[in-house]
Amino acid sequence: MSGAHVEPLTKNRAGRPRQPKNWRNPTLLAITIGFVVATAWSWNFIDMTLLTLFGGLSDLGNLLVYMFPPIFDNFPEALRATIETIWMALIGTTIAVVLSVPLAFLAARNTSPHPLVFAVARGVITLTRAVPTLVLAAVFSISLGIGPFPGIVALGLHSVGMIGKLFTEAIESTEFAPREAVLSTGAGKWQTILATIIPQIIPSCIGTALYRLDINLRESAVLGFVGAGGVGFLIQTELRGLDYQRAISAVSVIFITITLIELISTRLRASIIGDHLSTPTKQNARSLARVARDQRLIEAAISTRRLTPPWIYERILRVGTGLMFLSLLVVALFTIDMPIISAYKYGDDLVRSIGRLYPPDFTFARAELIQGMLETTAIGFTATLLGLVIAIPLGILSARNIILRRSVILLSRGVLLLIRGLPELIVAVLFVAAMGLGPVPGTLALTIGTATFMAKLIGDALEEVQEAPREGVSATGATRVQEFISAVLPQALPNLVSQTLYMLDVNLRSSTVLGIVGGGGIGFLLLGSIRVLDEATVGAIIITIFLLVYAIELLGTFVRWMVE
Amino acid sequence: MQDSSTSGADPLISLTGVSKRFPNGTLALDNVDLSIPRGQLLSLIGLSGSGKSTLMRHLNGLHRPTSGVVNVMGVEVSSASNRQLRGVRKNIGFVFQQFGLVGRATCLENVLTGALGRLNGPRYGVWSYPKQLRSEAFDHLERVGLVNQAYQRADTLSGGQMQRVAIARSLMQQPQIMLADEPVASLDPESSAQVLDLLLKVAVEEQMTVIVTLHQVELALGWATRIVGLRDGRVVLDRDATTLKQEDAMEVYQRVDKSLDPDVSRQPDASGVTQRAVQVAP
Ligand SMILES: Nc1ncnc2c1ncn2[C@@H]1O[C@H](COP(=O)(O)OP(=O)(O)OP(=O)(O)O)[C@@H](O)[C@H]1O
Ligand SMILES: [Mg+2]
Repeated sequence: MSGAHVEPLTKNRAGRPRQPKNWRNPTLLAITIGFVVATAWSWNFIDMTLLTLFGGLSDLGNLLVYMFPPIFDNFPEALRATIETIWMALIGTTIAVVLSVPLAFLAARNTSPHPLVFAVARGVITLTRAVPTLVLAAVFSISLGIGPFPGIVALGLHSVGMIGKLFTEAIESTEFAPREAVLSTGAGKWQTILATIIPQIIPSCIGTALYRLDINLRESAVLGFVGAGGVGFLIQTELRGLDYQRAISAVSVIFITITLIELISTRLRASIIGDHLSTPTKQNARSLARVARDQRLIEAAISTRRLTPPWIYERILRVGTGLMFLSLLVVALFTIDMPIISAYKYGDDLVRSIGRLYPPDFTFARAELIQGMLETTAIGFTATLLGLVIAIPLGILSARNIILRRSVILLSRGVLLLIRGLPELIVAVLFVAAMGLGPVPGTLALTIGTATFMAKLIGDALEEVQEAPREGVSATGATRVQEFISAVLPQALPNLVSQTLYMLDVNLRSSTVLGIVGGGGIGFLLLGSIRVLDEATVGAIIITIFLLVYAIELLGTFVRWMVE
Repeated sequence: MQDSSTSGADPLISLTGVSKRFPNGTLALDNVDLSIPRGQLLSLIGLSGSGKSTLMRHLNGLHRPTSGVVNVMGVEVSSASNRQLRGVRKNIGFVFQQFGLVGRATCLENVLTGALGRLNGPRYGVWSYPKQLRSEAFDHLERVGLVNQAYQRADTLSGGQMQRVAIARSLMQQPQIMLADEPVASLDPESSAQVLDLLLKVAVEEQMTVIVTLHQVELALGWATRIVGLRDGRVVLDRDATTLKQEDAMEVYQRVDKSLDPDVSRQPDASGVTQRAVQVAP
């Protein structure tokens, strides 16, 4: 789970986050105090001290020493596992998209056929989001066996939560006028929806799918920790065998892959969502030639009354991308050897394995359940605070308008980008290898994710704050530090508070699965119960995780509502 | 006020005692009787909020009346099944103030959607329509003077061009009735004239029955054969256009004494009422 890379769902994706109220606002103050108190308790609960913190750092140093020099003789194996990871993410995301499209139409206010259907569809979308992929994968692997299949099913189901939600929002934001106009021509309901809503939502849906593909790539890199395929299994085996020099080479293969794919998908997203491909923003010779060619093609098509659209650049790009995706999907399906033909049998298994979780048994592990939940919460809070503390200086170092030396900025931005390429759970498994089982390595892993994510936000936020107050202060002869504290910080603070809350939400979710790699929290109990096939307890744990995540979501919505 | 050009034994469109009260309590139509014979060019005038759009939307079943009967081409629209409604809508071209084009689709695709009523099953993209319909769509684009924009995205057009594409889409239906709800309200004077001329030209060529709501009385008097004025959902004027003087028509716009009109919110406002979300019969 590398939740730190998930954009806030409520944030307006087109624009920057809304500026909340002034930072002296009592609500903000109350939230801040609540956060500090909860963090103090958390810090205490997981026995975090500065000593353990620095002890952990030296353990990490030792691990790094053990890892060098990396041994790359496992490269073919690592590559194979990484490719399997990619295919899993691709198939899982595709399944989620296929499930989400009809669901979104049933869940969108403006297309849902009935209030009851609306409520059910919304419920399904929320439900899928509330159980982490790794937990689903662990449960499915009981019935579907070890291998990529349970992982893919888990990715497919969990992603419906985000993809379905964003698709629904896309449908709800479509214009009504075209729909009414086409309906008035005598077209049927579904004819109208296909002709008017689909063209409006396609770009944003592709963007969503690509974005989720990035996330799922990170997710599927760690599914191997529960035996659900991909490179995670290899990494874990090597770490268990104390083969650190090979583990680091497997980690670097997946790391490079993730970074590369993220770069590609970011560019692809930009070019597909870009509103007018036919009028490029860059006026270089190539784009001008492209426009001229398109123009010629269109003119030729019209003068000969060609009844099929001409192959202009935009169309080539769109069809080309589609074909590429389809061929990749076919390759993926053949490589992974999805048991599609006997899917009904597995479908049956799946239903039965979920059925066996019922009735849940809360009594067997009651004490551990409570302890696990508290620990999960404590990890979430501690990681958020620590991450924030580290992020502030990092963020300042990367803000262009504060640090004036280019090399410093490039270096700090580069480091942030690199660290963000590693899924949190991989970081966690490395930390556990260095420091042993327990909440501290898990907390530190989440801390790193939080720190890099927040540092980028802080850097961006600082670059956005207006210049005027700063100049006013520096004109009075203040030093740079004074100037920063009195002028820059207050402006960026409200935004910082809401992003911290968002991070807390993400971290609490992530910490429910940390235990699966020994990083503390309720996940540890889950893995134990799965190992001994105590399905009644597994059911109880999943319900507990579900309730925890759901409570966090409600709290998050409430707080955002209060702040904005 | 009552002398009108309603005649003919078999009107194409007839409204009998039609009232519409919206769920929020607004009485938008108040006992409207109207009968329109084939081939008539009718202009509907009235203040903003007087119920013009609401009346138009009753003719193709986008709204259903609270009481009364709407009959179009022999079908009781007010109580028609979805199937019957589609049948009626196929024969009615509807041009909206906001054009109602799919911005991301090409003009050709937008025009083709006008043929959906003739086809079974959903369609997506130019290639999914039969060749002969595509050719027809080209003809209609030619007719509205936009064939060169056939493969251009609709949101790259000017307002006047968009409205002409919308007209081409209606022509694709081969309709017998053409309804246009303030078709030129968001256009500059020059495109307005162009669009109105086009609308009239094709209507006359195809011998369509036309109802147009307009804000400019001079425009309405210029071409309509019959003028109907609405105020607060009631028909307050119904005259042969040739015998109507502009001052008489302007009377429709005189606001009633405030003391008689409890609903002060019914003032002409700039924002088109048509933009408001409306309920649509499925
Ligand atoms: N969907 C709706 N729900 C509630 N009230 C409505 C709805 N549509 C229209 N109304 C109300 O019905 C009355 C008539 O509206 P209508 O849109 O028919 O006026 P109009 O004559 O077309 O005005 P305009 O010239 O501004 O377009 C108005 O008071 C309006 O507020
Ligand atoms: Mg209107």
